[in-house]
Amino acid sequence: MDYALQQLLNALAFGAEYSLVALGLAVVFSIMGLVNFAHGEIIGVSAYSVFLAAALGMTSPIVAVLLAVAAAALAAIAFERVAFRPVRYAPTTTGLLTAFGVSIVVQNLFMLLISPKPQSVSILNGLNQMWFFGPFAVSSLQVMELIVSGLTILALVLFLNRSTLGLAIRAASRDFATVRLMGIKANRVIATAFAISGALAGIAAVFIIARRGSVSPDLGFSLVLKAFVACVIGGFGSLAGAAAGGMLLGFIEVGLLVALPQEYGGFKDALTYVIIVALLVYRPEGLLGQRVELGDKEI
Amino acid sequence: MLSVDNLVVRYGAVSAVRDLSLKVGRGELVALLGPNGAGKSSTINALTGLVTPASGRIVLDGQDISRVRTEDRIRAGLTSTPEGRHIFANLTVGENLRLGAAIRRDPKGVHQDIERFLALFPVLSERYGQAAGTLSGGEQQMLAIARSLMSRPKLLLLDEPSLGLAPKIVVQIFDFIGELKAEGLTLLVVEQNARQALRFADRVYVVSAGTLRHSGPPSSLADEHGLFNLYIGG
Amino acid sequence: MSQAIEETASAPAAVAQPRAALTRSLIGGLVTSLPVLVVGLLILNFAPTYYTYLALGAFVNLIVVVGLQVFMGNSNIANLGHSAFVGLGAYGVAILSTPLAMKKLSIPHAPFGFATLQLDPVSSALIALIAVGIVAAVSGKVISRLSGVAATIVSLALLIIVHSVFLNWTDLFKGNQAFFGIPKVVGLPWMMVFSVVVIVLARLFKDSRWGLQLRASAQSPQASAALGIDAKKLRLMSWVLSALICGLAGILYAYFAGTISPKLFYFQMIFNTLAMLILGGMATVTGAVTGVIVLSVGLEFIRSIESGVTIAGIQLPQLLGLSGVALGVVIVLCMAFRPSGISGRYELDELLSRFFRRNAK
Ligand SMILES: Nc1ncnc2c1ncn2[C@@H]1O[C@H](COP(=O)(O)OP(=O)(O)OP(=O)(O)O)[C@@H](O)[C@H]1O
Ligand SMILES: [Mg+2]
Repeated sequence: MDYALQQLLNALAFGAEYSLVALGLAVVFSIMGLVNFAHGEIIGVSAYSVFLAAALGMTSPIVAVLLAVAAAALAAIAFERVAFRPVRYAPTTTGLLTAFGVSIVVQNLFMLLISPKPQSVSILNGLNQMWFFGPFAVSSLQVMELIVSGLTILALVLFLNRSTLGLAIRAASRDFATVRLMGIKANRVIATAFAISGALAGIAAVFIIARRGSVSPDLGFSLVLKAFVACVIGGFGSLAGAAAGGMLLGFIEVGLLVALPQEYGGFKDALTYVIIVALLVYRPEGLLGQRVELGDKEI
Repeated sequence: MLSVDNLVVRYGAVSAVRDLSLKVGRGELVALLGPNGAGKSSTINALTGLVTPASGRIVLDGQDISRVRTEDRIRAGLTSTPEGRHIFANLTVGENLRLGAAIRRDPKGVHQDIERFLALFPVLSERYGQAAGTLSGGEQQMLAIARSLMSRPKLLLLDEPSLGLAPKIVVQIFDFIGELKAEGLTLLVVEQNARQALRFADRVYVVSAGTLRHSGPPSSLADEHGLFNLYIGG
Repeated sequence: MSQAIEETASAPAAVAQPRAALTRSLIGGLVTSLPVLVVGLLILNFAPTYYTYLALGAFVNLIVVVGLQVFMGNSNIANLGHSAFVGLGAYGVAILSTPLAMKKLSIPHAPFGFATLQLDPVSSALIALIAVGIVAAVSGKVISRLSGVAATIVSLALLIIVHSVFLNWTDLFKGNQAFFGIPKVVGLPWMMVFSVVVIVLARLFKDSRWGLQLRASAQSPQASAALGIDAKKLRLMSWVLSALICGLAGILYAYFAGTISPKLFYFQMIFNTLAMLILGGMATVTGAVTGVIVLSVGLEFIRSIESGVTIAGIQLPQLLGLSGVALGVVIVLCMAFRPSGISGRYELDELLSRFFRRNAK
């Protein structure tokens, strides 16, 4: 019983983290058709900011959390301004490859300017403790991951449904030109979407640093690959799909961890991807997706 | 109020609008007529800035807006209800109206305007919380016009409001357009349905193949060398 | 003016005589591979061994990039998983052709009797290609059904799956460690021959009915579907051909290097070859060739700085990551300022014939 509960919590926590990152990808994709491969490097910038600040003498974990989120949001806005704006109206493949290029540049900048080796960051280790509820021992980090992700998603839903800018983002995901006809500034809508996407990545970064206690240049890369897969199974561009896809991914992974014998544990990632690709055979448009075609963008 | 000089719109090698000039005076309703592919929508989109003209000057209230971004043109008091309505299908009727008023900073006034349009179009009121994509074509057109009006424009550009609608609904829509004119709004209306468009028009421009063929009062269309039949028909 | 007339006049002729069109694209392919041959021959005859070794690596990249062009250039879908096929080809021949004495050391527990099997290099290569073809056909079935973005993500998933199998199926692939002792049977001359073959093949595919239809469907999916073009089938076709070419590159790599390891066929290779294709221009085979030549030289230069140079007696520190930054910047700048790459829309032979026609006037 204890074991089953523990695994359930594991799955929920993994799933929550994938959902956060996948949502960040989906928000940006849905409004401008950009497949943001550099999302992992937004997580990277966030983590390295915390690393640098800690190295320079920052000690407060709360400040570190705020810094992580702010740095990620700013990094996302900066990436958009510098790299993605020139290809805003270009075909999807052009944007995708640009983002891939940005990802390579930033990862290598971490190597070049800081170090190719992992660097230890202990400032957020306090988040990762064991909590005891009667007979149960649970990881504080997992509980927080679950709660914070839930609250974040709730806040996102409220923002998208209540605020004018949120409505504009939802509208822009279908028809950007007409949103501009409402007098809403395109740049502002896009910058907001990137800021949201970045903030979500920053929250994920906090959990990653707390769990690993270190940062490395490819910190966010493999996580983002998984988040992409979550988006694809959820239906690319659908926000609900991204969140659901992330959760599903968490459950598949933990399920495999439980089911696979120890010596085959290394095949977990491979099998996860195989399962997901197999799902796509049956539902090419994803679980909650409408079909997003190659060049599905308007003026 | 609006004056357009020597407008040219190109899509790659295709010239959609060639050297078009027109004027719309304050309080006027001007109709822009022409067959399919004449370049009417291209003209409207150039006026709102959604397409960038190759050359030409657009002056609104004495201010040259040719280089101004779409968003800022809307803020300057010009707006358009695009061809095919383009309502936000995944948003509710209410949310569509709210977005229409995105540039306004008077929540009270916005609220009053929403109430006014709901009273005017009771269907919209019934469907207030429903996704706008589920409305019928006629209802969507009313929503689209109401949404444009939410920004309190000085000049409204309507691109084929009758597109794909039953004759009865078209008459209703044009009745409403007539009321708008009576309230003092300035309008530029693009139409293929000339008969309806001419009901309230003060002046008419006829374009075909991107070029201006004729301009004058509505009555001039009937008699001048069969223009009416040549370009518009019916 | 007369140029336009000539071109329109030659178009119907090409339709009337498919053989002439075939010859033309064959000659086009050969013209495109000329620079490659020239560079290869120069190196073969004059360069010191170190450069020969570098050149061999560059030729492998060339074949990979041409393979990548076959899919990306025609379908306009980004493929980020092609180095999986390079790896499959390389490991295929490694497992089949490595001498038994060596296998005792490296993969003594290989399943299916591979531990006691040794084939000659040519049959090994053929079987490895068949294996690549099977994996490509299965993955291509999925990928060709998806929309562009999802297809790209699945190509990545494929890369991760294959890499993870290399790493974890240690009995067969030796895991993280280098797999050594593969017979070194390929030198620069063979490499040049295969490069030319692959370039011509890519060109023939591009100019073929299938290539043409695939490019049309990438441009306007609805319109071409209305014309009865089966885009899925064409995508699958180009995916498999592209994979086979990449697999061939892997086979050649294994046969000249003698030693392989999984990390060679992972993201680094994707970054390098993708940047080459983008810089050269992915719409044409010429672009693939150009990108490889320019970036191979450029990267070699940057790598020499990266490892710490001595300028005027001062030893600069190692600058790990510099080449990565350069690659990324190349991609980003290309996409922003010249998405069609250096060579643009035209193949080398098309450019040459335009040039001469203009000068003839
Ligand atoms: N985005 C575009 N790209 C290329 N050509 C375009 C584009 N939009 C319009 N055109 C072309 O420009 C010409 C004018 O089109 P436009 O839509 O302005 O005509 P219209 O008068 O509004 O026609 P309709 O009555 O059918 O709406 C047409 O030949 C059309 O094919
Ligand atoms: Mg039109």
